[in-house]
Amino acid sequence: MIPRATVHTSAQPKDASDDIDPENPDTALYEKLGELTRFIDKTIKTISQFSAPMSATTEQLPDATTHLRDLRKLTEEGTHKVMQLVETIEDNRKRLYAQLDALERNLTGDNAAAVKAIRNGMAKDDKPLIDIITALSFQDLVAQRVNKLVTIVEEVEHKLLELVVVFGPYTKGAGKDEASKASEMLKQLEASKNTSINQDVADEILKQFGFN
Amino acid sequence: MPADLNMKILVVDDMSTMRRIVKNILKQLGFANMEEAENGQEALQKLRADTFGFVVSDWNMPVMPGIEMLRAIRADEKLKHIPVLMVTAEAQKENLIEAIQAGVNNYVVKPFTAETMQEKINKIFK
Repeated sequence: MIPRATVHTSAQPKDASDDIDPENPDTALYEKLGELTRFIDKTIKTISQFSAPMSATTEQLPDATTHLRDLRKLTEEGTHKVMQLVETIEDNRKRLYAQLDALERNLTGDNAAAVKAIRNGMAKDDKPLIDIITALSFQDLVAQRVNKLVTIVEEVEHKLLELVVVFGPYTKGAGKDEASKASEMLKQLEASKNTSINQDVADEILKQFGFN
Repeated sequence: MPADLNMKILVVDDMSTMRRIVKNILKQLGFANMEEAENGQEALQKLRADTFGFVVSDWNMPVMPGIEMLRAIRADEKLKHIPVLMVTAEAQKENLIEAIQAGVNNYVVKPFTAETMQEKINKIFK
């Protein structure tokens, strides 16, 4: 059995109780609150600095969902095209089988045997043809995964837009009107959570919050 | 009792490619009378308006999923006798148990072969 090692590093977080002054517990609490406030302030500043690339990402997300939907449509169209061609081959073969049957009825001996051999040779392709059709069910599985990806991208887009509204430069030092506008935008985002957000809504939010 | 090749079969799937695939397989197996529905709700309307002998349905569909349609079929005095084959990518054990409890006659997991479909249909109509 490997003995459990105890690692001490300078990065290891200290136990909160280490900082508490038993003489004055309020001081320790205020220090912790101050630390937390500084952390939140720093995070907001950092996110604000990143707002431009974040905006660019948000703008590109509807494009990503469009590409995914196109992918689903293209694979669907391609699958139908292949099936249509296989169905045409099958129809032709059906006609050929009927002609061979008619021919065989009027023939005897070696000639009849030759027609039968041709028929048997053709029949060998029956299974591969239906196997081509069933192999195309991959498209359904692709479409299901694309649908899942579209949902994920749309959720990420909602989250990014929420960040743009909450931390965007437009809200920095905002007055009453701007704050209420931000609140309204958040409500709109919340309401559209289970539906896909269209490019116009995304553009409007980005525009109103100072992104072009 | 072998399946009646002239019976009307309803193929239910939201994906047009899957409906076409299932119809091709059924055609290969000798069935000629098939109709399509895009979801459970449309399927129930068609089932109530006509006489069908068999339903082949997907599980995941918008509007009404296959499992809800199956429960509605089993709860309907006029439709409850119709055999239902579920064709789905939901291979989880829980889904299979749910489908069995709802009264499914058999279950095919995608991707499947024509042989598997034939085997399941034969079992349903044996």
